[in-house]
Parts: sequence; C-alpha cells; structure tokens
Amino acid sequence: MSGTLFITRVRLLTGLVRQAAPTERSGDVPRRARNEAEIVLGQRKLLQRLGPGLMHAFIFWGFLVLAPTILIALIGVVAKDSTLPWLGHQGWYALLVDIFCVLVLGGVIAALWIRKLQKPSRFEGSHLGEADLILGLIATIVISLLLWHATRIALHLNEWPASWSPVSNALSHLFSDNQTTKVLERVFVWIHVLTILGFLAYLPRSKHLHIFVAAVNVWFGRTRAGGRLEPLKFDDPEVPEDELRFGAGLAKDLTWKQVLDTFSCTECGRCQDACPAFATGKILSPKLVIMGLRDLVLAQDTETPLVPTAVPADMVWDCVTCGACVQACPVSIEHVDHIVDLRRHLVMVESSFPAEAEPMLRDVERASNPWGKAQSERADWAAELGVRILEPGDPAPEYLYWVGCAASFDERARTSAGATARLLQSAGIDFAILGPRESCTGDPARRIGNEYVFQAFAEQNVETLNEAGVTKIVTGCPHCFNTLGNEYPDFGGTYEVIHHSELLAELVSDGRIKPSKKAGQLPITYHDSCYLARHNDVVEAPREIVSAIGKPIEMRRSRKSTFCCGAGGAHMWMEERGKAINEERVREASATGAGTLAVACPFCTVMLDDGARTAGTDLRVADVATLLSEAIDDDG
Amino acid sequence: MVLVFAERSDDELYRQALTFARSIDPDQVHAVGINDPAGYSPDGWATALTRVTEERGPTVVVGPGTERGNEVLAHVAAVLDLPMAANCVSATPGDPLTLTRVRWGGSLLEEARLHGSPALLTVAPHAVAADEQSVEIELAPAASEAIVRVSERVETVTAGVSLADADVVVSGGRGVGSAEGFAVIEELAALLGAAVGCSRAVTSAGWRPHTDQVGQTGTRISPSLYIACGISGATQHMAGCKGAKKLMAINPDNEASIFASADYAVIGDLHEVVPAISAEIRRTRGGG
Amino acid sequence: MNILVCVKRVPLTGGKIVLTDDERAISTRHLGFTVSPHEECGVEEAVRLIEQHGGSSAVLTLGPPEAEEQLRDMMALGIDRAVHLVADGEEWDPQATANAIVDAIRSQSEPFDLILFGNESADAGNYQVAVRVAHKLGLPVVTGIKGIAVGDSQLRLEQEVPGGRDVYVIPTPAVVTVKEGLNLPRYPSVPGRLRAKRKPLDTSTPARPEPMLEMIKLTLPPDSGKQAQVLGNGADAAPAVVTVLDELGLL
Repeated sequence: MSGTLFITRVRLLTGLVRQAAPTERSGDVPRRARNEAEIVLGQRKLLQRLGPGLMHAFIFWGFLVLAPTILIALIGVVAKDSTLPWLGHQGWYALLVDIFCVLVLGGVIAALWIRKLQKPSRFEGSHLGEADLILGLIATIVISLLLWHATRIALHLNEWPASWSPVSNALSHLFSDNQTTKVLERVFVWIHVLTILGFLAYLPRSKHLHIFVAAVNVWFGRTRAGGRLEPLKFDDPEVPEDELRFGAGLAKDLTWKQVLDTFSCTECGRCQDACPAFATGKILSPKLVIMGLRDLVLAQDTETPLVPTAVPADMVWDCVTCGACVQACPVSIEHVDHIVDLRRHLVMVESSFPAEAEPMLRDVERASNPWGKAQSERADWAAELGVRILEPGDPAPEYLYWVGCAASFDERARTSAGATARLLQSAGIDFAILGPRESCTGDPARRIGNEYVFQAFAEQNVETLNEAGVTKIVTGCPHCFNTLGNEYPDFGGTYEVIHHSELLAELVSDGRIKPSKKAGQLPITYHDSCYLARHNDVVEAPREIVSAIGKPIEMRRSRKSTFCCGAGGAHMWMEERGKAINEERVREASATGAGTLAVACPFCTVMLDDGARTAGTDLRVADVATLLSEAIDDDG
Repeated sequence: MVLVFAERSDDELYRQALTFARSIDPDQVHAVGINDPAGYSPDGWATALTRVTEERGPTVVVGPGTERGNEVLAHVAAVLDLPMAANCVSATPGDPLTLTRVRWGGSLLEEARLHGSPALLTVAPHAVAADEQSVEIELAPAASEAIVRVSERVETVTAGVSLADADVVVSGGRGVGSAEGFAVIEELAALLGAAVGCSRAVTSAGWRPHTDQVGQTGTRISPSLYIACGISGATQHMAGCKGAKKLMAINPDNEASIFASADYAVIGDLHEVVPAISAEIRRTRGGG
Repeated sequence: MNILVCVKRVPLTGGKIVLTDDERAISTRHLGFTVSPHEECGVEEAVRLIEQHGGSSAVLTLGPPEAEEQLRDMMALGIDRAVHLVADGEEWDPQATANAIVDAIRSQSEPFDLILFGNESADAGNYQVAVRVAHKLGLPVVTGIKGIAVGDSQLRLEQEVPGGRDVYVIPTPAVVTVKEGLNLPRYPSVPGRLRAKRKPLDTSTPARPEPMLEMIKLTLPPDSGKQAQVLGNGADAAPAVVTVLDELGLL
C-alpha cells in the first residue's frame, strides 16, 4: 500500500516535471559529474556553514551507508533468519552501520538543538512542524534499527560477528535471551520497516522529497557562468506566436528545471539568510519564492497567475540579482532564474513593473542608454585625453575599451574612465573606445525582464564589434563585463573580455605601471561587486591593485560572500523600500576603520558613495583605477 | 500696414506683438480684437478677423504666440489658404517677407521666406520687449457662424502657487530619486512662496503629476528665478524655462549642460544642498 | 468608432543641438528617434477609446522611410493599421503636409469619426497642420485638449487655461489636437510588438510641392554669453545662495 502511495505521488511529480516547458541542460557532462561528486557526495555547499553542514552530512552519509539495511530489514521481516547475501554477514559493514547510526542520531540531536534552542531566523516562514516530524521519523528508524540489532544479538540471531557492532552489542545487554526479547525483536523490526514504509509514502508529499530530487537537481544545475541568463527565443519558426514563452506567468510556463527546483527545496533558509533585500527589511525571501511556486505547481493550478498568488509582486521587484541565494543553496536551486522569469512575464506581457523604471526602459530603447542622454555626448569624458575613438573602417585596436553607460554619463563613475584611459596610455597599451557607437549592453533591460529590448541591443552591439574586428575587450563595469563575456556569445559575439582591474593588476605586476613608493600607507577596504566576484570569480586582481597602493583590510562579507551594493537587477533605477542595502554595506566598510572604500564597479561607486553620504560617514569611495592613477600622480 | 490681433490692451504679450509689428512698419500699426459676448470661438473669431483683413488689406497680420493667437491665426491661414509662420522672433518686410522663427521650443532658430500676402505671423513670447506705447484696440463684430465655442469654464482650485504664474519656481529632476525625495524641494518652495516644478523624467516615473512638468510639452514658465535641482538640462526642458529671468542650477555634475544656461551654479547633490539652503533661509530670517 | 492619429518622427536631441554642415537640418548621427510627445498621448487615447467604444484605429505619418519604425511602435500600443506617406529627405512645410494628409484621408475607404494630432510637433512647432486639415475636410477642430469624452455623435473636450479648464462640445466627425498630460501612454507588450510587425502598412510617395513657408537655413540661438557664477560646492554654498536670493529681493 505504501508502495502504491509512493508510486502514485512520484508519477504525479514526474508528470509535472515532464509537462513543464523545455530548457537545455545537457552537455558538459564532466562538469556535471564533478558537481554531483562535490555538492552531493561531498556536501560542499552545505559545509559552507560548518556546524549545520556536518549535522546534515552525518545524516546524509548515514543514509547512504544505512541504505542496504532497509533491504536487510525488509528481508528480516518476512524471513526471520535471512539477510542480504554477503553484505549482511560482513563485520566491517556492521561496524559502519553502528557508527553511522550514532552519527545520524548525533545529527538529529544537533538538528533539534539548532531548531529548538538556537532558532535561527532563516527558518522564518519554513514549515517547522514538518521538519520535526521528519527528524522524529529518522530517529525512530535509526533507534529501531539499533534495538533490532541489539535484540538479535541477545537472541544470538546475528548474522555478523557481534563484536563488530559495539553499540548494538552494548545495547544487547538490555535484553536476555527469552520470549520477551523474541517478541521485541519482531516488534523492533516491524517498527523499523513500518516507519520506513510510512516514510516512503510521506516522503514525496513532504520536503523530504529532496533526498531523491536534490541529487537530480544538482546534476542539471548550471554549468555555465553564474551571471549568464538563458535567452528566450522570439522568432522560433516552429512555435506559433501565441505559444511563445515570455517568461513565467502561470505554473505551466515554468521550465522542468524550475519545477525540479521547487521540489528540491528543503526550506533550510540559507538563501534567505544570504539575501541582502531580506537583510534590510524587505519581504523578498528567495526561500519563500521557491516555496510559493512549489505550492502552486503541486496544486496543479494552470489558471492562477504566479504573481501575486505564489509570489507577491514586491518580492519580484526587490531582487538585486546578486546570486547570494544561489551560492548558498545546497541543492542547486537557481532562484535568480526564477525571479527573472517572473519579471519577464510581468514586463513583456503585462507591461507591469515599478513606474520609476519606465523612463529607464524607454531611454534605453530610444536613446540607447539608460540615462536618456544623447549618444553624441558619450565620449565627452574623453575629449581632453586624446583617446582614440574607433570609427567605422578604422583598424581594430588590440583592446577595445568598453566604457559603459555609467562611466560615460554619471559624474561620479566618470572619474574611473578617465583614470583608466590615462593608465592604459601611460603603459603604452593600444586601445580605442567606440564612443557614440557604444550603446548600452542591454544589461538593465535584461535584468528587469525586458529580454526583447536586451536582445535588440545585443545584436546591434555584436554587429558593431564584429564589423570593427574587435577580439579583446577591457571594461571597467562588471555588468558590461558579464554581459559582453558571458551573454553575447549567445548572439554571435565571442570576445576575450577582461575586467579593467585584471589588466591593470597585470600591468602593475609587470612594472609597466609603477605606483609611487609613498603609496602603501593608506588603509583601504575593498568591496567585491557581485557581478565581478560572485558571478565571475574575479577576486584577486583588484586586491593586487589595492595591495600595491595601500594597506588592505578585508570586510567579513568579502570575495564570493560579498554583500551587494544594491544596484543590481536594475535597482540602480528603482526605488528601494525599507532600509537601504547600500547603507548596510557602508556601515560594514566603515567598521573596518579604513578611510577609503575601494570598488571596481561604477554602480558600486555611485551606490556606496550615496550610502556613505546618507550614513554620514567620511568614507571615500573610489574605483581602483582612480586610486591607482592617484598613486602614480603622487610621485614621491 | 500691419494689423495686430489682440484681446486686452494691458496684456504683456500684446505689447510685445506691437513692438514686433512696429519693427516691420513703424508708422502704420492697427490693433483689432473681437467683440464676442458669447465667448471664445476659434473659427468664429478667425472668420471675423479674416473679414477685417480682407476689408483693411494689411501686408502683415500679427498675433501673439499664445495658444489662442496661434490657433486663431492658423484658422485664418486655413481659410485664406495662405502660409502662416508661428512664433517668430523677427521679420523683415519684402517680397517675399523673410522671418526668423523658433523651433524646438526655442533651442533652434529657423530663417525662412514666406510666400504669401498678407503675411500671417505670430510672435514668440518674450522674444521682444513690450511696447510702452499702446495702440487702441478696435473691436470687430463677432461672426454669427461659429461652429466651435467654449461651452463652459470649469474652475480648478490649485493648492499653492500656480506654476505658470509663479514668480519663483523650484524644480526637481531625476536627481531627486523618488516621490518622497521631493519633500526637500517642497520645503524650499514653501519658504520662498514658490511653485514646485519637475522635469519630464519625473512625470514619466510617476513621481509627480504632469501639471507640475516644466518643459516644451509641459508648462512654459517665466519666473524671476528658476531653481533647477538635479536637472541635467535637456533641450526640451530648457524650452520650458528659458523665459526665466534668472536660472540657478544645482547639480552634482559640473559638466551638466544646464550650467551653460545658468546664471548661478551650485555643484553638489540636491539632497545636501537644498536642505542647507532652507536651513540658511530660516537662520537668516531669524528664529530657526 | 474609426479613429486616425497623425504622428511625426522626431529626433531625441539631448543637451545641445548640432547642425549639419549645410545648416539645413539637425545632425542626427548618434541620435535616437521617437514620436513627438503630444502625439504619443494621442495614440494612447485612440487605443483607449477603441477599447471602450469599439471600432478601429489607424496611424499616419508623412516622413522618411525610417519613420516606419515609429508606425510599428504605435501599432505595438494597439493601433490596427498604418499609413506611411513616404517623404523625400527634404522638409515639407505645413501647407504641403496638410494637403498630403488630406489626400491620404480622402483616399481611405472609410471616413474617420475622429482625427487626432499633437498640438504642435516637437521640432518645427508650426501649430497649424491640424487646423488646415480640418478646414479642407470641412470638420470642426479644437486644439490643446487634455480630456476627451465620447458621447452620441459628439465629443466633450477639455482644454487647460489659466485658472481652470474650458469645455468644448462638438459634433463628430471632428479633428482634435491633444497635449501631453492627456494620459500616460502604456508601455508596449512584446506580443503587441510582434503583432505590430505584421499589421497592415500602406505606403505611398506623394510629390512635394514648392514650399510657401520656405526654410532657408537653421541657426542656433546666440550664446547668451552667460558664465554661471559658481556659488560653491555642496551644502557650503547655502550662504552664498541666500545672499543671491536676498539681492534678487526674493527672500
């Protein structure tokens, strides 16, 4: 009966996955295998938090080791004197079983201690009762197994050498070789088996489903760059126009990977803990997003819009696409993809999005930059610097310096463009800028969900770059860096894209840029931008520059665990509810005692400078290029 | 002879039209208005004006470049199938008459020839000084046939100072950042008895209603002082405020194009500067 | 209802205007384009009126071949079809423009109940094309409208004036010019844009007559020669600002 319950539910779940929208997750098998080994077997993501990680690892590894005992118990229930051939008789296996039973119990106790005594906030919104039940069932299974073994030993029925299972052996002294024990032996094995069967039926109806789904979800997780979003196809000749997929509006629009994501969620809340929006009082919790979607999928509701029923609109817009949630998730759920897909439907089909983002969207499309300034003024920052502007037909430079809209038009971001240009010139690098022919990469349009406008820009820019014969691009903006390097290949544009901090660090280490000897005194703390560090692993190069010009001090949330400045996900143009993300980060920076906050991104520059002013600190926020350029001018 | 279409003799724009008319023909300038007890009718008034024009035979008919002036002259032009040049800043009589007129709300000028007689022109507001000497406005009778007429006037109650009439206007642009951010602008405006305006980016973002918009497609203002905060100075915004006698710009970008048209510049973030100004005003007036 | 909206493709000029070498046009290199702001509100209003009262709508422009972009953008908002009077690169004066539009309207199979224009185009700002079109078609015309209500064969129109609003009630068919602020144009949906790519577009190439209002050249207004007096940086400038306010007698 339990089998039937299990199977019908599994059928339902696989059906839901199968019926979902398609997505491409094959290929890259070696990488997938490595992920499976590291994340599932090695529990790497769970161990990002050592305590809870070990707790879970013990239970998980215990499950793997103890799995054959399920068969042994099933056999033992029907044939009292039989067991699994060979394995059932191995002393070393009995030892492992005992050890892992204890470890599992230890894990369960630790879990209960965390949940009941520590009560971390990441569980806010999770179904705690369900978790308690599951822990109880696990404990019951393990304890009943130990007691069953103990009674078998007491009755001399053990098929394995008793001395090899010290715990069961010790417990066996509680029982004498008598009729009561014979009954208890049956009782314990039946409790064990019934609990397992009951668990089996309950399992796919609870979040414990993750024990099967998570491993599959990890296999199908992203193997390409974290910052890359999956494009939508608007002109598929095989798909009639009214069946085109414009993101996720209803449950049936979710892709099978997204459905699998929702089934994998264990409500652990690590994503919620990592989310900068949640940390600053907004309602967005990546956990609640996934749980909300899961509930609507399981309800097999094909009519109700996902927003606001499964996910309130505010949650969708609060996201800064920093990816901290994805990084924290032990089962490879890709929350950012979900949120962007929800945004895509809202923006492209319903035209429903925060009003203050509308000027940005219109400006990007009509004026080719989100500031709405005339493209003819794009190279004004370079007017006095003698920077080569690449005209159509000109020979391609070694490096195309992609300035980005922020550094072209925003007065605070602009200083880093001038500094970068001067540094590259002083090092004799052959570079040019596109000037007015450089349009927005389309990143803000893509992150807010307007994939259609983004693709128009991607295609236009790729055409410009390819016609110009560009092969290498250096850019100061991590968002441009991410889009040009990771996303433009989907549109025919493949270039070697490096971040300005990488090139400048190389030039410093080669001695082509020499910071003055006076430099090195200034205490500087460096803020990793999400799109540079977390999405694209560029972590050391900016630090090399900081070390060359000052005394580096690290913040606690640094490198891939960095805390967002608040501008991502098109938030540079949207209002923020609740406390400000940028002020939160500025407070952290101030607390290091450094007077200078170095950044490597024009958005971070603006957001953190704003934050520094509103928080009333004296913190100076500057791009690493600006600081490096000053360290050279300052010649001692 | 130049015929000037007018409504009230004390109206500043009528006086400017007179100056303009005198620049074409210093001696023979006549002014005519429409005596219509039933109120304004664009086609009705144009019919009456056309009749006067046909009777009196001027070489040039001039109207003020107001909504009404442009509308009536456009109707006259349509009836007579003659060319009309709106918002001129200067004209030289001749065959054909040559003129300079305004494009892009004032950010560009056009030199043109008008092939038609009489020449039909309207005068760009504040392009010339008001004539001190007035000319008596003769009233022509209204035309009996009028298709379009104002049927009623709905009064609107404006809280505070009306943007079009205000002597001081304080505006906020993109730099304000949010609807709530306008609080500092409103505070300063209240202290100065000024009206609050905004740029088009602000109305598109939904932070303030279109009635607050200063610009080519919003309200055109002509205050004694215009304080533009966090506004970069796009031409279509400048078209709305070029009537201001003095312009003070507050912007963190020292290269913002608005500074090229400003009399006074403050380089800084309006969120720091504007409250500081308000505080200083209070301090100066005494009592905190 | 059968509604026609007339629009014009204009450049987005930014902070300063640059002329071509021959000084007869704005240099549009690196400039984006849009429909004149007043007109976009007219298009939105047409779409709303058809949504409310049923019927069909069309958008028309006299412009260069690139103006098809604007026609498709307006159809993405919900207009059913477009008419493109393809102009050569030269300027068309208001009379020539109006006559071409009248010819195109007369050659339509169905008459229009309402013809909408923007109050004035962002670039030339001649304030007269709509009035001329109305006279040629023998239709009533009201300008500068910020509120439209459709009744039985009539329209109730509101125009902003100092102190309030003037109301006009006129019979249809009619010509109305509108001003920005009439409504907030919707943001086009992508399905709308895709459909617009395939909506019907009628093109013709009218001949341009000799201009009666003949543009000779364009010039930039003389530099005021103003040098802004820098009062200071940041909050420190406040005392200097207040001094200026005092000098201007505004304190």
